[in-house]
Amino acid sequence: MKRRLLDRSSELVVKLAGAMVPRAQREEWTAEWVGELWQVQQSEQGDTPVDALEFSLGAMRDAFLIGWGQRREALQRIFVKGSAANCIALLVAMAAAGIAVCVALPGSRPMLEPMPYRDADNLVLISRFAAIGKPTPSIRLAEYREWTGDTAGLYQSLAFYAPEAATLRIHHRPAASLTVAVASANLLDVLNLKRAAGVENAKGARLLLTYAAWRRWYRSDRGLRGGMVDVRGQQATLAGVLPDGDWRLPDNVDAILLEDAQDSEQLPATLRGFVVARILPAAFPAPRNGLRSMVEAPYGEELHYACQSLTAIQEGSAEALGCCLLLALFSLPVIAALSVGDYPIAMEAHRAGLVARRYGFLAAKFVLIAVIVAVWSSTLAFGMGSRDIGAAMSAQMAVAFVPLLFGFRWAMRDQRDRCPVCLRKLSHPARVGQVSWSFLGWYGTEMICARGHGLLHIAELPTSWFGAQRWLGLDPSWVGLFEDRAITGSHSG
Amino acid sequence: MPPETKLSHTAAMILQAIHAGHIYGFDIMATTGLPSGTVYPAMRRLERDGWIASKWEQQSIADEEQRPPRKYYRVTPAGRATLKAAYKRYPLLERMLPASDMERV
Repeated sequence: MKRRLLDRSSELVVKLAGAMVPRAQREEWTAEWVGELWQVQQSEQGDTPVDALEFSLGAMRDAFLIGWGQRREALQRIFVKGSAANCIALLVAMAAAGIAVCVALPGSRPMLEPMPYRDADNLVLISRFAAIGKPTPSIRLAEYREWTGDTAGLYQSLAFYAPEAATLRIHHRPAASLTVAVASANLLDVLNLKRAAGVENAKGARLLLTYAAWRRWYRSDRGLRGGMVDVRGQQATLAGVLPDGDWRLPDNVDAILLEDAQDSEQLPATLRGFVVARILPAAFPAPRNGLRSMVEAPYGEELHYACQSLTAIQEGSAEALGCCLLLALFSLPVIAALSVGDYPIAMEAHRAGLVARRYGFLAAKFVLIAVIVAVWSSTLAFGMGSRDIGAAMSAQMAVAFVPLLFGFRWAMRDQRDRCPVCLRKLSHPARVGQVSWSFLGWYGTEMICARGHGLLHIAELPTSWFGAQRWLGLDPSWVGLFEDRAITGSHSG
Repeated sequence: MPPETKLSHTAAMILQAIHAGHIYGFDIMATTGLPSGTVYPAMRRLERDGWIASKWEQQSIADEEQRPPRKYYRVTPAGRATLKAAYKRYPLLERMLPASDMERV
């Protein structure tokens, strides 16, 4: 009974392994393994028994290696050195690596993630005019208190927070020195984060740890919630943990202390911090233009404040990149020829698909270069966690322009060096003709498509009658001479 | 394939086993003591490189012996040249698995 079960299991393993073998070889492969398995099963009764199940597991390895080998060959046929697919794959890999690094660094991650705050376009950070670009805690608590009554026509709601160094003491836990945002009780309401944090039921002062601080200092202990914590000599309820990525306001803080009304009254009026406000769109003509929205102090003094949209970093970065992109496109004719070559009219007219593929490939290269430069420049400019938006955007523009310009130049040159039919890089450059003192005899370089589609003639000295490079298509009767085409001819255009 | 091509010891053992007259997978396994997961993939590579060739046994012979047909392998001339070169690298190979007087295939 046991032996029959083992035999059945072995046969099942061989059949399952057969599914990994390419269909064309499967029947023969299975027949061989079934035949061999029969031998093994017979040997189990003999003097030198072999474990049939162990034997059949070898079929798995054999099938995997055959299947993997076939797939590798298929991939090698597609990603031939110098092919269009190879080029696109390389550019996609560079873009993917940039996105991965951008996401991995805390400073640049917000560039790719949407704002966690609902209606973030109408959320602004108010600071003194001098502090624009690099938000610093510049608003006194006294000013905030005054504004809460006087600015009803400008803002729906206002909240205050001041980053402070503080020591956290939790019962039976070592003390931790953290940066705590001492905030008005309505901070999470203004940001629309109250539900996410789950702090509705707590009373008195409440403390929220950021996800990073919770992991680092308290090793993701779920039992902390609801306990009492001593912060700056004040008792607060540890109300929960702020989800990762929810804190996007200036200054890296480890915790938020939401003061209740009574405790808030006892804070010094000179305490300097940030004011976050939800604006009334009608009061601000261009609320999206966060960096330039100005509000005059409404209580007589000639003080000016900047209302900086919380989405200003992302919008500013996109604008900077857009400027660089346009600048690079307009500058391109200065350093590169815009012609992609002179191709026979008959070839263009009868093979519209080829033309579309050629220009589609060129467009794909341009788009991918723009994406690569965008993600890598964002990573470099914002990846170190700089809060100086102005400096970061300037750095991004400086970093992005040159790679964009030379990237586009490379795309044009690469396009000219490719076969217009199969889009593979041309090879075997040869000097043709003799140098002519009168310029009447043509001389230059001839390159050839390794798959026999044609020859490319590039003039050494461009003249009025032979300026752009010319493509000379070869008749299909030449195919036999090109071994490469004979092997992979089915993939040619 | 040039004779100076280097074979791994395992591949050389399998090639020698086939040369010695062990001409189907299970027989090679039993002779060399190598597991199935090593012997069959190695035989595929040897066949791909042209050092061995395979041939199915006639169905009538298998029917007569009341068993599934076997796939037999034999060493090609290129494989023999490669094996001869491998003897220099692995001097004990020939003594470990001596070839029979008369090859079965």
